[in-house]
Amino acid sequence: MTEATTIDQILKAQRLGFAVFDREHTLLDSNFKYSDFRQASDLARGKVGLWQVFPELIGYEQTIAELLAGARKPLVLEKLNQLDRTDRLQYYNLRVLALAGGTRSPARLLCLAEDVTEQTALEQEARQQRYEVQLLQSQLLNQSQFLSGALLGQSAKIQAVREFVGKVAQYNTSVLLQGESGTGKSLVARLIHRARHEGARPFVEINCAAIPETLLESELFGHEKGAFTNALASKKGLLEEADNGTLFLDEIGELPLSLQAKLLTFLETRRFRRVGSTREQSVDVRVVVATNKDLKKAIAAGEFREDLYYRINVVALTLPPIRELDDDIIQLAEHFISILQIDMKKAVHGLTAEAKRKLLSHSWPGNVRELRNIIERAMIFTTEPRITAAELWLPDTGVQDDQASDALHIPAGGLSLEELEKKYLIASLRQTGGNQSRSAELLAMSLDTFRYRLKKHGISIQAIH
Amino acid sequence: MSAASEAIIYSKKICMLGTFGVGKTSLVRRFVHRLFDDTYLSTIGVQIYKKEIADLNSAKGRPLGVNLVIWDLANIESLTPATRTHFNGASAAIVVFDLTRPETFDLKQIHLRTFLEVNPGAQVIFVGNKTDLMAEGPDEKALVAIAGEYDAHHFLTSAKDGSNVDEMFQALAANVIS
Ligand SMILES: Nc1nc2c(ncn2[C@@H]2O[C@H](COP(=O)(O)OP(=O)(O)OP(=O)(O)O)[C@@H](O)[C@H]2O)c(=O)[nH]1
Ligand SMILES: [Mg+2]
Repeated sequence: MTEATTIDQILKAQRLGFAVFDREHTLLDSNFKYSDFRQASDLARGKVGLWQVFPELIGYEQTIAELLAGARKPLVLEKLNQLDRTDRLQYYNLRVLALAGGTRSPARLLCLAEDVTEQTALEQEARQQRYEVQLLQSQLLNQSQFLSGALLGQSAKIQAVREFVGKVAQYNTSVLLQGESGTGKSLVARLIHRARHEGARPFVEINCAAIPETLLESELFGHEKGAFTNALASKKGLLEEADNGTLFLDEIGELPLSLQAKLLTFLETRRFRRVGSTREQSVDVRVVVATNKDLKKAIAAGEFREDLYYRINVVALTLPPIRELDDDIIQLAEHFISILQIDMKKAVHGLTAEAKRKLLSHSWPGNVRELRNIIERAMIFTTEPRITAAELWLPDTGVQDDQASDALHIPAGGLSLEELEKKYLIASLRQTGGNQSRSAELLAMSLDTFRYRLKKHGISIQAIH
Repeated sequence: MSAASEAIIYSKKICMLGTFGVGKTSLVRRFVHRLFDDTYLSTIGVQIYKKEIADLNSAKGRPLGVNLVIWDLANIESLTPATRTHFNGASAAIVVFDLTRPETFDLKQIHLRTFLEVNPGAQVIFVGNKTDLMAEGPDEKALVAIAGEYDAHHFLTSAKDGSNVDEMFQALAANVIS
């Protein structure tokens, strides 16, 4: 086999692998013992076949028969991948050609592997960047749109929530969601919507506490041109926007009594009138309402209509606060880490054991929202691959870590905690344009607590605006 | 016939088709190596995996094995003679969609038609992957519709938690030798 040994020399220099097979596909010669192209030891003993050496040629039997018959051009398989001895990804092109036979020497098959790792690695890098960005973008879109992962966990309570979502999705009845601030009522409303409707059905959300009473009616039900001083054109209300989909009324406990009556009429008749219109219209809307208030107490105080309460309380669910979810807190925290990691482009891979214990011992008054904020802050500051206990700044737990409190510096003149609280209350209102429920969210407290503290400090919202 | 050519009878080439990032590589790695990795390394060209599935029941009731030669192809950005050559001699295609990205359900991008021109009579199965990301339950409608059009089987899988991955490959193996 003189020509093969010559080729051998050349191929070795070019970092190529080669192998020659006879008509029966038996290996005659190769340079594998000089190159790390294929494990030479595998091929050392006995009769070795083409398909053992090159499983990538399975499926090309016909082509190979034609090649040996001299009836076609060489077969080229581009950019095949394999791991080299050091587990590094290697790319090669495989070229299969016939060495023509003479009268006394039958045709043979030559397989040549050409290492194309260098140029292909460049191509890979370029692709990787493009694809990664696109993939992250659509993942983020998915997460913010459907938030699917956020109803995570194995605890019985979370499973009950998932079951509830699955069941109510089958019917179009109104649903009441109760639960402390931050327990994910809005998320559950979205999931109920998604579970019933696929495709582009509207999900319309409004926070009844966020909109001044005078605007709320036209916001919800729409108005006709000239219905009131500023009604320069007629406008659809959210109820109409939500036609064929879902209307989510958050903080229903804050809905003024007059509108409670109008909402009740709608729920009973499915009909309503725009402000300033005499024409009744009907829409097909699933209404989901939520509150963190005790509506029974509100009824007793004359702030909530009993008949509306019974109308919306037919299908109701109380969302568990996360301190009741046991180990699910860890899963939720890890979920947030994985989302934020994409968002912040920062590789953080989880929590240390001590950090996990710390999360489990906190009482989580602000629930999921508080958890997310705590994780987000830790993600910003951490320099470790895993978030440590010291990086979790948990207020009011009694297990405050020393490092975090060390970091706070108290001015020599001292400070008043009362004053500090007042400042934060005002700052939150400024930041949210006077929106009380968003301010309460920012400070991880319930709306009731927030209002109570405003009153305590004598802060007037009008004065801040 | 030599021993080498006898093995061919039981070897079947399978191509993984689907847009980038849907989880082709992850499904194959889960099935062959029982591994999953969250980090994404986009495939260029093709990586070939082998996995033997033993004890499939043949039509004659005799146990039978099949050696799956799985071609984990890259996303095909443009169809060239070289990418067409990759399709040659395949017995089946596993078409993978990402359930979280509706835009991946586009058969034109995937070149399934060309695949079937090159391999008339090849089996096709459709896979909706990443069920683990769908807490509210995966939406099967689009998948069922596409599978219906091709009179093909469909599976909902997660390469991450492993659900339905073995079942999917097993079913395919049974199909390609029947
Ligand atoms: N959560 C989840 N992630 C998955 C699943 N399957 C794949 N992934 C992730 O999705 C990304 C892309 O997966 P790959 O398997 O590389 O996708 P591919 O289809 O081979 O992509 P290309 O090679 O570029 O065509 C990776 O980050 C995987 O970790 C799954 O079932 N669940
Ligand atoms: Mg891949």
